[in-house]
Amino acid sequence: MPYIARRTLTLLSSIVAIVTFNFLLFHIIPGDPIRLIARSQHLTADEIAKLHHEYGLDGSLFSQYLTYLKNLLHGDLGFSFTYQEPVIDIVKRTVGNTALLLTTSTLIVVIAGVLIGVFAGSRHGKRSDSSTVIAALVAWSLPTFWVGMLLVFTFGVWIGGLPISGIKTPHAIYDNIFQKWQDIGMHLILPTLTLAIVDIAFFVIISRTSLIEVMSEDYMLTARGKGLSRRTIVWGHGFRNALLPVLTASVLYISALVGGAIQVEVVYSWPGMGLLTYNSVLSRDYPVLEACFLITAVAVLVANFATDLLYHKLDPRVGVQK
Amino acid sequence: MNDVTPTHPTGMVRQLWRLGLGRAGIIILIAVAFAAIVGPMIFPFDPAAVGADASSILQAPGNGHILGTDELGRDVFSQLLTGARISLFVGVMATIISTIIGASLGIFAGYYQGPADTVLMSITDFFLVVPALPLMIAMGAIFGQNLSIIILVIGFLSWPRTARIVRSQTLTLRERQYIPRARSLGAKNMRILRVNILPHVMPLIIANTILVVAGCILSEATLSFIGLGDPDRISWGSMLHFSFVSGAIGRGAWWYFLPPGIGILFVVLGFTLAGQALEQITNPRLAADV
Amino acid sequence: MSLLEISNLRVAYDSPAGTVMAVDGVDFSIEPGEFVGLAGESGCGKTTLAMSIPQLLPRMARITEGSIRFDGQLISDLNEEQMKPFRWKDISVIFQGALNALNPVQSIGSQIQEPIRVHDSSVNEVQAHERMCDLLEAVGIPAKRALDYPHQFSGGMRQRVMIAMALACQPKLVIADEPITALDVMTQAQIMDLLRSLCDKFDLSMILISHDLSVLAQTCDRVAVMYAGKIVETGRAEDVFGNDGAKSRADHPYTQRLLKAYPNINHERVFIDGIPGMPPDLSQPQHGCRFADRCDLAIARCASEEPRLSNFGNNHQVACHVATPPGANYS
Repeated sequence: MPYIARRTLTLLSSIVAIVTFNFLLFHIIPGDPIRLIARSQHLTADEIAKLHHEYGLDGSLFSQYLTYLKNLLHGDLGFSFTYQEPVIDIVKRTVGNTALLLTTSTLIVVIAGVLIGVFAGSRHGKRSDSSTVIAALVAWSLPTFWVGMLLVFTFGVWIGGLPISGIKTPHAIYDNIFQKWQDIGMHLILPTLTLAIVDIAFFVIISRTSLIEVMSEDYMLTARGKGLSRRTIVWGHGFRNALLPVLTASVLYISALVGGAIQVEVVYSWPGMGLLTYNSVLSRDYPVLEACFLITAVAVLVANFATDLLYHKLDPRVGVQK
Repeated sequence: MNDVTPTHPTGMVRQLWRLGLGRAGIIILIAVAFAAIVGPMIFPFDPAAVGADASSILQAPGNGHILGTDELGRDVFSQLLTGARISLFVGVMATIISTIIGASLGIFAGYYQGPADTVLMSITDFFLVVPALPLMIAMGAIFGQNLSIIILVIGFLSWPRTARIVRSQTLTLRERQYIPRARSLGAKNMRILRVNILPHVMPLIIANTILVVAGCILSEATLSFIGLGDPDRISWGSMLHFSFVSGAIGRGAWWYFLPPGIGILFVVLGFTLAGQALEQITNPRLAADV
Repeated sequence: MSLLEISNLRVAYDSPAGTVMAVDGVDFSIEPGEFVGLAGESGCGKTTLAMSIPQLLPRMARITEGSIRFDGQLISDLNEEQMKPFRWKDISVIFQGALNALNPVQSIGSQIQEPIRVHDSSVNEVQAHERMCDLLEAVGIPAKRALDYPHQFSGGMRQRVMIAMALACQPKLVIADEPITALDVMTQAQIMDLLRSLCDKFDLSMILISHDLSVLAQTCDRVAVMYAGKIVETGRAEDVFGNDGAKSRADHPYTQRLLKAYPNINHERVFIDGIPGMPPDLSQPQHGCRFADRCDLAIARCASEEPRLSNFGNNHQVACHVATPPGANYS
């Protein structure tokens, strides 16, 4: 499969590019990273010198880069000064929680967003279409964190009824695993809803536009000419074709999703990588911040890779050698 | 691009007005601009004036405070009006930087093509893929928190989208017949760019720019909420930041955390509506919607 | 009884510039098994006329007057739901531009099969598949290519797929809208032969729309020439076009000019005259003969009185004040 091979190569080179960029951003541009750490931790001159040597920072630029790469490949992401443990351990604790949040949200967002968008597009020109568009534009203009604040206020303070903080009830003891997941599920509701409100709008707008463009294509007239039912025309012929540009656009979505996740985790104290990022900014714990950024960026690259492969599978016209 | 697409700004505004969405967008923006410019001149309190004693903290609206007070007893309404200026200022400035860079690179890459194009597009694609908010956070944390840096950081992450769009359009225009003809008449490249290409790319740039402003304002708000805003300035994002960390939500101080968010919503909505309507005008394929 | 009877049809397009009468009072009929050509320049209304039969007009178009009868039944006043049983089963269409008229993400085999089972629920999957393979063979495409996608075929082969698809439900009437315009000359000839042979083999009626008169002359039984929303001449192909080498017996000045626009390989080399002027603006009401201001032979009567189709013998009809039936004396 030459296409998969080519695309994998692109993925790998993108990862190398991101790693290098990360290196430049966190180690070179700010100058001496130890200085950054020293500033926030008030180290003595001796300690600073020792750290310099430990981190190989008294070598040339290129040797520093190689050391950096070597450490990465060994899973060494540095040492956190605020948590006093290797960064990799902190990441292992938190990444799963973020993954849970993102997966749940994406499922809801994509399915609901595309269905609503295609439905609105098929009713182009009618009232249900216009009102859907307006609702989507308003939702898309909302700051995610603010939606979170409103929901926290509504369900945590005003009406109540849903947990607004963390991933589990503190100090809870469960009789079985089902109870544990039920608790997690309850805590998942509001954060997911927050992410969903803004991001569904994205898919509604994109899939609606896509369907409208598809509806004006000649093969849709052929379908109509065949005397097919309206449902078959829209969902059998239009949908498949409209889905393709939506897939292409979802590259943008993945980037926005990650940004949204950070905001949601902050508002709901959801113990994931987003909250970790926020805390590391507050305490200027650069190794942690660096690791969060790197992992997030690589995850986005991998997600785009998967999307591209999916597109390749769905569109029979793609994959022909250029 | 057909003859109906206006290239002159007044033509565009007129067409914008006719579209329902565009009209709503313009009205919102005028209202916000008015509030931002005139507001701070007429507000009753100094937004930085801290309350006299503990009883003035997180007061509900009343006692001359139209929107109550914050956790330090400062007047929320005054802060709201002042914050409008910063939010809009950062958004617009970042957009200007991003548009200048993005449009220039896009036209350059699309027109000259070749190796310069490949290199530029690789860089552009790289920044398109890197997730925006995490990068902004990282850069904000590293480079510091004053206003200029924030503007640069936000602008730096918005230019790729503009560059891509402008490049596509330039590529299309380049293939039009009058370009080789102009060249055979002896026109130099700069002249062709200025006279033949730029006027036809302008409407697209303008439509895109307005949408970019919306994004930049949201970015500034989010960065300030995270805590990376300029600590000496009040913006809507920073108001929300302080309302959050001071526990105003738990205390039900809706007058504190509702208005700034509503403000952001309206401004972003205004630009989004206007931008979407403009995109419809400059891209006839999207046809008339609302 | 004719298979198709159109009487006094008027079709209007609502546009921002005003209402355009694309078809303005047309009578047209087809017998079972007849191969009729519909000729005319772009914008004369031939596609509108044909597409109003299965009611596949765009949203802004509507039938304002007149009737269309198919097999004796009035179909011009049916709504979308009521039209569906007729579509493809009785009346099918070969659209212009086959690449865009085929769904790019569906295999051609499934696209051909689709209408078969929709219109006849008694047909099971196996039978539908068999029928699809038969159709592909009939148009000259190997059945094993049924799983391929439209972009994997050349222009000529895609057109064959469209033809196979149009025949899927054994229709009585097939409308072919400029089926060969986008093809090279060799392929054009092949497709035209194919259409003619299928028409004979399955005994179906066909309306072939084209602006290319040479194509119509070779394959059609009968031809109707349209101009500015009206039919100006109709008759057997040999009567309208004349036999190869012989002087054309077209009698309408417009048809004559159209024919002169095509060089005849047997004749001396002459300069080709285009027809000066433009077709009339159909958003304005028309007075008199619509071709009058571009016609060499126009007389005073042409500007004020609209000519009606009158019989020239052998079912050859011409709408012109100046043209006279053969055999009449000139003074």
